Amino acid sequence: MTASATAGTLQSLAAREMRGGRLSTAGFLIGPATIFVTVGLLFPILFLFRYSLNDFKPGVLMIDAFTIKQYVLFFTDPYFTAAFYRTLRVAVVVTAICVVLAFPLAYVIARTQSRWKHLLIMLVVLPLFVGNAVRAAGWMTLFGNKGFLNVSLQWLGLIDEPLRIMFTETAVIVGILAVNLPYVVLTLQSVIEGIDRAVEEAAFSLGAGPMTMFRRVLLPLALPGFVAGGIFCFILTMNAYATPVLLGGPQFVMMGPLVYIQFAIKSNWPLGSAVAFILMAATLVLTAAANLVVQRRYRR
Amino acid sequence: MARLELHHLSKHFGPTVAVSDVTLDIADGEFVVLLGPSGCGKTTTLRMIAGFVAPTAGRVRLGGREVTTLPPWKRNAGMVFQSYALFPHLSVAENVAFGLEMRKIAPAEIKPRVTEALRMVRLEGFAERLPRQLSGGQQQRVALARALAIRPDVLLLDEPLSNLDAKLRETVRVEIRELQRQLGITTVMVTHDQEEALIMADRLVVMSEGEVRQVGSQRDLYERPADRFVAGVVGRSNILPGKVVEPGRFETQGGIRIACAGGQAGPAVIALRPERLALGPAAQGLTNRLHGTVEFVSYLGANIDVHVRVSAADRVVVSQPNRADGRLPSEGDKVEVGWPAEAGVVFAEEAGRPQA
Ligand SMILES: Nc1ncnc2c1ncn2[C@@H]1O[C@H](COP(=O)(O)OP(=O)(O)OP(=O)(O)O)[C@@H](O)[C@H]1O
Ligand SMILES: [Mg+2]
Repeated sequence: MTASATAGTLQSLAAREMRGGRLSTAGFLIGPATIFVTVGLLFPILFLFRYSLNDFKPGVLMIDAFTIKQYVLFFTDPYFTAAFYRTLRVAVVVTAICVVLAFPLAYVIARTQSRWKHLLIMLVVLPLFVGNAVRAAGWMTLFGNKGFLNVSLQWLGLIDEPLRIMFTETAVIVGILAVNLPYVVLTLQSVIEGIDRAVEEAAFSLGAGPMTMFRRVLLPLALPGFVAGGIFCFILTMNAYATPVLLGGPQFVMMGPLVYIQFAIKSNWPLGSAVAFILMAATLVLTAAANLVVQRRYRR
Repeated sequence: MARLELHHLSKHFGPTVAVSDVTLDIADGEFVVLLGPSGCGKTTTLRMIAGFVAPTAGRVRLGGREVTTLPPWKRNAGMVFQSYALFPHLSVAENVAFGLEMRKIAPAEIKPRVTEALRMVRLEGFAERLPRQLSGGQQQRVALARALAIRPDVLLLDEPLSNLDAKLRETVRVEIRELQRQLGITTVMVTHDQEEALIMADRLVVMSEGEVRQVGSQRDLYERPADRFVAGVVGRSNILPGKVVEPGRFETQGGIRIACAGGQAGPAVIALRPERLALGPAAQGLTNRLHGTVEFVSYLGANIDVHVRVSAADRVVVSQPNRADGRLPSEGDKVEVGWPAEAGVVFAEEAGRPQA
């Protein structure tokens, strides 16, 4: 861009500003973020999609092509479909449990008048100070076949064989739950804090018991929090990596680790790209669909 | 609609005594106003009646029924909150219908009752609006309609007018009062606005520091205030500190001797209503007559306040009706102030407890 053109642009921007357009200011402010999102996110996605249409031959690796072979392979091979449905199942279950568990905690934190409130929030956030991998390793030492729990129980003579806790779907669900819960609690808490306490009391004084009050007043008003927290949790779970690898073991393959396996271990970039793209698309579509259903159900 | 009885009701929050030993008997259809300065326990008392706050001691009876331990949803008390607390996700009609639905009233009957409630508050055309699409005054009326629609045993109002502008407040308080009288509904309102309290109440309860100082009609409180605090709540008073020398004789700190009605010898204050004091020729023939100098004159419209220094330590305000033929005193004028002995009310000062 030439200097005069730049000056011209600036001038026209200034002129728009004078006309009272706040839009141009907003444009300046969101500009950097927009560029970042485009370069850092959109381009890789486009490349990913393009790669997923390529062909693959062991030894030759990626071959330029335009084929949906990788997608067909994914949806016809039980190994891949199993990983897909496993991931969906875990994400849905984790999200459901997470939202239900988070609400009471979020409510208490939002409504407490105690001066220890900030401490309570710190306690919720505390688990996030430990990275996912470290935490999962911690769980292993606790729940493994030779872990603290099994050794203790065997020593006490309560069990003969070690309990199989590690490398189960339950272990993965519990593990991811522990990671995601703080996010959902904090999201819900901030929304509940924005709801006037008097509104709950008004419902009580009009004859609604606690359950009815929750269903008719608190739930609809806290819905944005449930949706945001739920979406947050769902996306995090769909894309979970460290926890399923460490707590699920080599047999329990979820989509996140699958992308890694295809790219790094099998060097199959086209298939890896397809898996990544399917994961992304599924997450996006399901999130949007859930959002739509909830919005429609509780319109207003 | 019912009688409301509070028996020795108290509430402590840790070391704070919010409400202390409040006993009240509110008749069916009566409009009682709890009046007092900020933090005196009005809201806490109201919330104990509604069931949001569990009393530390004492009992609440509503319509002859013991409700002390009942949760709010089993009490049938209609409450209007200071913030109105309308359900933001429900339309005006749905807000009003909420309490009726909770009472399992047939949908066919709910509709006419909602219409009726909205008609009472003159909001018929607003049924489908959302609360955020209403002005503050309209929201306030929806809150009132919602509380009235359930036909509560008692209507509780916590500073219902404090979020309205001055002009609107004047009309709304009359509307509420008329509606209340028309429905004959027992009502307890909380306010710290004297004028509002005087205009709306059948009976006033003056509170201070969690205690009831006096219960009575406007006239009772004005003419026979129980203490110096109450004397300052209804109307204004000149408070002159000093002592009762002997029953019937009061001496101010400035050394002025005043004839008064009764009183026990000892430290005391005498309260004089500015409008009961006479100025100039009108003071002729009255028991107490003092000579003084006009220090300050405020022209208030209907009344004129004349501040007169009667001794080095004592100054009184004389309120004069503003008449066409009235002569306005000016600063520095020598005047005579007078009043009959019974116009002065004497309150003994307890050593340990200054009565603000
Ligand atoms: N939940 C609570 N915890 C602790 N103290 C409280 C609580 N609620 C009220 N108090 C205290 O009790 C006292 C009375 O409060 P209350 O709200 O009843 O006053 P009020 O007369 O309504 O005042 P205002 O006119 O300012 O609304 C105050 O000292 C207040 O600080
Ligand atoms: Mg209050």
